[in-house]
Amino acid sequence: MRARISRHLGPVLSAAPGLEPDRLLAESATDTDTAIDAASDTTVALARRLARPAALAGPSDRVGPVPPEFSGRDYTIFLLRIAAEVEHTLMVQYLFAAYSLGGPDVPDSLREQVRAWQETILGVAKEEMGHLITVQNLLTVLGAARQFDRDDYPSDSPLYPFGFRLEPLSLNSLAAYICAESPADWNDAEAAQIKARAQADTGDVVNRVGALFDQLITLFEDPAILPDNVFQPDTRVFQAGWDEWGRGYREDQRGTEATSVLPGLPAPELVILPADSRAAALVALRAIAEQGEGLQAPEDENDSHFVRFLTIYRALDQIGPDAAKVVRPVATNPVAGDETGGAPGDPDTPTPISHPEAVLWAHLFNVRYRKLLVSLSHAFELAGDLTNLNALSPRGWLIHRTFGEMYNLRAIAGLLVRLPLRVDDVDGPRAGPPFQMPYSLGLPSNERNRWRVHRDLLDAAAALYADLRAVLAEGSEARDYLTAVAQLDQIERVQVEQLITPAAGSPTP
Amino acid sequence: MIRELRILPPLAIARFGAAPTPMDNYDAVVDPERPLGHRQLRPAPTLRIDEVTGAIAETIMPAQLAFTQNGLVRPVAPFLEVWALTEDDRLEQLTTDLLAAENASVADVRWRVRLGNLKVFRRTGQDGDRVDADSGEIADHDTHPLAGTAPNFWPGKSIPLGSVRFIRPTPEHPQIRLRFTPAAGFVYGASATAPPVGPPADPNVRDVVYDASRGRWLGYQDSDATSTAPGQIFAVDAQGRSRGYLDDGCDGLIQVAVGVGGNTLTSFGRIGVGPPAYAPDGLPIRSVADELEQALFGPDVDADDVTAEQAEEIVRRAFETVRLMNTAFMNVGGMAGHDAGQGRRREPIMARSLVDSTALEQLHQSVLVSLRSGAAAWFADVLRDYDEVGDLTNRGRRKMPAMMRGADGQHLALTRRQVAIIRALARGPVFPDGET
Repeated sequence: MRARISRHLGPVLSAAPGLEPDRLLAESATDTDTAIDAASDTTVALARRLARPAALAGPSDRVGPVPPEFSGRDYTIFLLRIAAEVEHTLMVQYLFAAYSLGGPDVPDSLREQVRAWQETILGVAKEEMGHLITVQNLLTVLGAARQFDRDDYPSDSPLYPFGFRLEPLSLNSLAAYICAESPADWNDAEAAQIKARAQADTGDVVNRVGALFDQLITLFEDPAILPDNVFQPDTRVFQAGWDEWGRGYREDQRGTEATSVLPGLPAPELVILPADSRAAALVALRAIAEQGEGLQAPEDENDSHFVRFLTIYRALDQIGPDAAKVVRPVATNPVAGDETGGAPGDPDTPTPISHPEAVLWAHLFNVRYRKLLVSLSHAFELAGDLTNLNALSPRGWLIHRTFGEMYNLRAIAGLLVRLPLRVDDVDGPRAGPPFQMPYSLGLPSNERNRWRVHRDLLDAAAALYADLRAVLAEGSEARDYLTAVAQLDQIERVQVEQLITPAAGSPTP
Repeated sequence: MIRELRILPPLAIARFGAAPTPMDNYDAVVDPERPLGHRQLRPAPTLRIDEVTGAIAETIMPAQLAFTQNGLVRPVAPFLEVWALTEDDRLEQLTTDLLAAENASVADVRWRVRLGNLKVFRRTGQDGDRVDADSGEIADHDTHPLAGTAPNFWPGKSIPLGSVRFIRPTPEHPQIRLRFTPAAGFVYGASATAPPVGPPADPNVRDVVYDASRGRWLGYQDSDATSTAPGQIFAVDAQGRSRGYLDDGCDGLIQVAVGVGGNTLTSFGRIGVGPPAYAPDGLPIRSVADELEQALFGPDVDADDVTAEQAEEIVRRAFETVRLMNTAFMNVGGMAGHDAGQGRRREPIMARSLVDSTALEQLHQSVLVSLRSGAAAWFADVLRDYDEVGDLTNRGRRKMPAMMRGADGQHLALTRRQVAIIRALARGPVFPDGET
């Protein structure tokens, strides 16, 4: 599947003049200006290619940057689907990094700070969720299929800013995140060092996500590429908005005080913007780009992802030897149900979870993750029903279930980062949430059959509950959770069964 | 030697009921195997009073709970016990033995109960609208009805506010205690002319007691600056004028005096009356108990004293409250309607697709489920702070608890102490104790 996509990226991501990490690091130590120039040239050049590939600018009837085999609308959809994948992968990596923070080894003097970092990164992940949803809106307004799929970890797909992997937070991983979120004109000495570190760690230049959105903005701005008649305003009822998805988080409310769970920490600001026109789509794209890479936030607004990560990077860099203690020894790319794999810290291979309890939780995590994605994509299939105030709204119910599954993921991830990875090394590395993609996210066309997918997932979870009960100690915290989540599934099943088999006299879906 | 007296509990809340037999005791407990279900009501030991002697006849364990008796609600009738603070700073229950040790006896115990219903007086400000009842001194073990009277009542008319009884101590039950049995929960009426003999014409009222030719309650409207918020919370006609209704709710003081060694030691407790518990297997998200806890212990909490169970209990009460709400209506007709008078149009508070009660209940249950894993209470940032009750921005109106009104007529907030508990837990579990 990936080759089907990547073959079109050649002109966009053609080989950049590579930077050898060792050389760049050495230069950054001896000749900072040279390193800055080299790094910035690379970034700017890459962004320029992403924005308007020179290879495609030849004489033809082709409009602007649209490559062979595409129409303008189709190419825009193509890039939007890539953007969705990128937002999805970034969100999951950030969640993993946030969950890795903490543990008994964190020095007392750093606990408050580490807790704040965790909350900050979770906030960034929530905002990436907002970006992912907004991109689905943009796909919807163009009449395109939505995209919730992505590669599994590890992945070095050329679609992504860097080789993606699930790993505990470190200066190296932070460097990659910073580069991915960085603005085009970030070129000072610190930039050179961080870019060099990221390249040394990932093995390649880290692409800017902003460049992709710059390209999309270019496409959306051009009526020759996207004529007015490609926008379908009547899809608005299927799109997501802050009203339904924003919860209590901020919605672009300048000057409004916002608090987080931690004093002094701003609450996440979710960009969830519907689009029914070119103008609305451009507002959404620019909001996403600004939230990712802004160099300086306007007063009373949250810092950009770039600035937030950079702030954590600087603080972690100051800690010195204790920096490694701020995270749990969580395996890199943990997976359930895979007997092959590499060492727990190898970024380029999956790490199988073999501890009998941990692997069951890992499977359950994957089931709940799939359930989240199914609920999210299913919600987009249903228009908001604003007519009957007393009936259960399946769309609203799916939105609530999506959030419910987010809570489940948080809960199970909290258990997994404390459980051993391997049965023969219970004091060794911890497991960690696997975030493995399901074999398919395709939804049946028949509404009842869509609800049968939900029931299948409840069945899969129920089987895992039985397995877990066999290994969990009575009275343990994990067992308390299991008892409660199993009961919640029973309650949910009643709803799902009613939607599969409506009461007599109800309209047939 | 007895130094001081206390009445415990210092505040007891009875519940209306017209049945002759008070409600049995019970506990409402969470079934550990069904933590999201309704609380289980389990019968608890109950004292049965001999109607003739006024003594405790026996302690029974009800086989099953019945909230009604022949179609009438059984009242909740609390006992108020006298405790003694002795020389060595011990607090122990006052008994006939302890009295004897002080060369005193039951005959040296005196009670007095004064109750009031000031609901009409609070609106009209007229002294003649105060409904008061005074038991006078009680030294026997008979039932003493408390008849509420007011200067603006018709001659000979009163509202029964309940009764009290000094429970006769026995060798098996030597404690000094008094029982308050509340009124039935009836509504009373007003008329501008002397009410005729016989059942009132208005089927809502038990009796016509209020003389509207003397007081202004019948037809009254909240229209002057002395009205307290929220306004107009009484039965009105189509023109917004009071229908002149009164009820038999009340609160007041119970005093005890004991002659000991030539001195008279006294103490007092408070009683009030609330409506029957029609959903006894759930608790409201914010209650008087939360107010009292905050008054006693302050608005802040020490993070070391906070437990995950406290947060779980708050979340459980949240979905127990949602379970009883018509959230789809409240979203457009509850506080949303109220906000129309606060500078906002009658706008729904939440997206209408989200406010189905069942779905909301499940969402709150999801939060509780996650907390059980030891996860931090991440939702602290969506709680409404006490100083945000008037925030009518979209974000402000959607904070939790949502779609509910506080006693001041603004959006409901949890107590500062409840919020502090959640916030304290939000900072904790990333470094759990005892983690390996």
